Amino acid sequence: MASPITSWEGAAEYFTFAHSPAALYGILIAAAAFVVFAIIFDGIHETGAYKKISKS
Amino acid sequence: MEQQLADLVAKVAALEKSSGMMGTIDIEIYYFWATAFMVLIHAGFLAYEMGASRAKNVLASGIKNILAFAFIVPTFYFFGWWIYLAFPHGFVPSSDGDAGLPWATAMGPNLSDNATGVFWAAFTLFAATTASIMSGAVIERIKVYGFVILAILLGSFAWILACAWGWHPDGWLLKSYGYHDFGCAGIVHVIAGFFTLGVLMNLGPRIGKFNADGSANDLPGHNIPMVLIGLMLIIVGFFGFLAACAILNAGGQWTNIYGEPMTLSSVAFNALMGFSGGLIGAWVMTRDPFWMMSGGLAGIIAAAGGMDIWYPPLAFIIGASAGLTISLFNDMLTKFGLDDAVGAVAVHGWGGVIGVMSVGVLASGYPGPDGSPGISLVGQFVGLVVCIAVGFIPGFVGSLILKIFGSLRVPDEAQMLGLDKAKVPVSAYPESGTAPAATVPAE
Repeated sequence: MASPITSWEGAAEYFTFAHSPAALYGILIAAAAFVVFAIIFDGIHETGAYKKISKS
Repeated sequence: MEQQLADLVAKVAALEKSSGMMGTIDIEIYYFWATAFMVLIHAGFLAYEMGASRAKNVLASGIKNILAFAFIVPTFYFFGWWIYLAFPHGFVPSSDGDAGLPWATAMGPNLSDNATGVFWAAFTLFAATTASIMSGAVIERIKVYGFVILAILLGSFAWILACAWGWHPDGWLLKSYGYHDFGCAGIVHVIAGFFTLGVLMNLGPRIGKFNADGSANDLPGHNIPMVLIGLMLIIVGFFGFLAACAILNAGGQWTNIYGEPMTLSSVAFNALMGFSGGLIGAWVMTRDPFWMMSGGLAGIIAAAGGMDIWYPPLAFIIGASAGLTISLFNDMLTKFGLDDAVGAVAVHGWGGVIGVMSVGVLASGYPGPDGSPGISLVGQFVGLVVCIAVGFIPGFVGSLILKIFGSLRVPDEAQMLGLDKAKVPVSAYPESGTAPAATVPAE
């Protein structure tokens, strides 16, 4: 279950998976990996775009 | 009688609880909307950069600018906030930073913590502003992924490290030297300006900027009215920025980040007077609307360091001194072969230097908070040197590494063709005939 609470009474941190460190780490790593991937992907796209210009 | 007293006590307790909660919610509301205003800074930088670009590069400049914002937000969440909380004492992290780790209970919706999210958001917008300052200077010839790496280095690492040192109630620059920088003249603007200077030294000028004999050509942007509107939007956003520099204490007087009492009225007085001085100073010096608006911005930056304490006419004079000198500073950089497309180093770097040192020269003697030293010329000078170093060194070294790996500068053929045609799948002005048609898909 994604919910860390079963009642709003006395609830504090209530974000999804707040009770599951393993899930939090997994989501965090996935988010960070996407940031890194996006930068690398842009590098590949830009390099390809400039190579096309050099060839033409 | 006893029952009545008990009822009264219960009512007072309920009122106190309600009042406390209202205070907490006031803090949330205040910083939430200050953050929303700061988004206008980025709307402004977007218009500013696109207007300052030639028609063939408009969208590429816009994309680059937007991505600075986009990449700062997650990276500041991943490690920026932790750096702020963990490093006020130097390079050794303290356990105070644990609350800012991305898996901490405070770093998400939490009914027992209303404040962390809005404070994180305000600092994130500060960080994105810092990165956007660099963005305009490097338009029309920097690779986007290289720029994104530099933006993260500046906004989510270098700036926030100096912020922990000099814009934190426990920062060593405050505790040891009494450094005073209410509106981040040094902590944001000097750092961003000198980081940009380091990048420009490695990036090189746009093709056509300089002639073989070293003389410079003007490469005007394609839409100066858009530049002016962009700059005015930045000014509007800066009121949100400066508002977020004040600490709202529920039930008590406002304080600055160092815990010294102040009023929000002081910011109202001095932001407007600094802005006005900068506008008039640059108008007197140049008669150029681009430099006038830049002068207004520099005027606010120059007054920012002591915005909580200036006599308003003094803020006007300090702003005017920035407005009078920024175009001269930019001319000097040009003579050294540096191509700063929007004058960012002059406006933010030089304006920030005035902002930090004017506090040392004109406001020495103010007491510090809780036993910290008071404001002094030496303390401000030490803070300035630290800000220059924390800005310039990462900017120069980071861009040098990118340059060595061929990840910094766009090839000459693409610059000549125009970056929009080279890599953007849509055209800025498809019916005007001034912009090229789309060629390369975004994949």
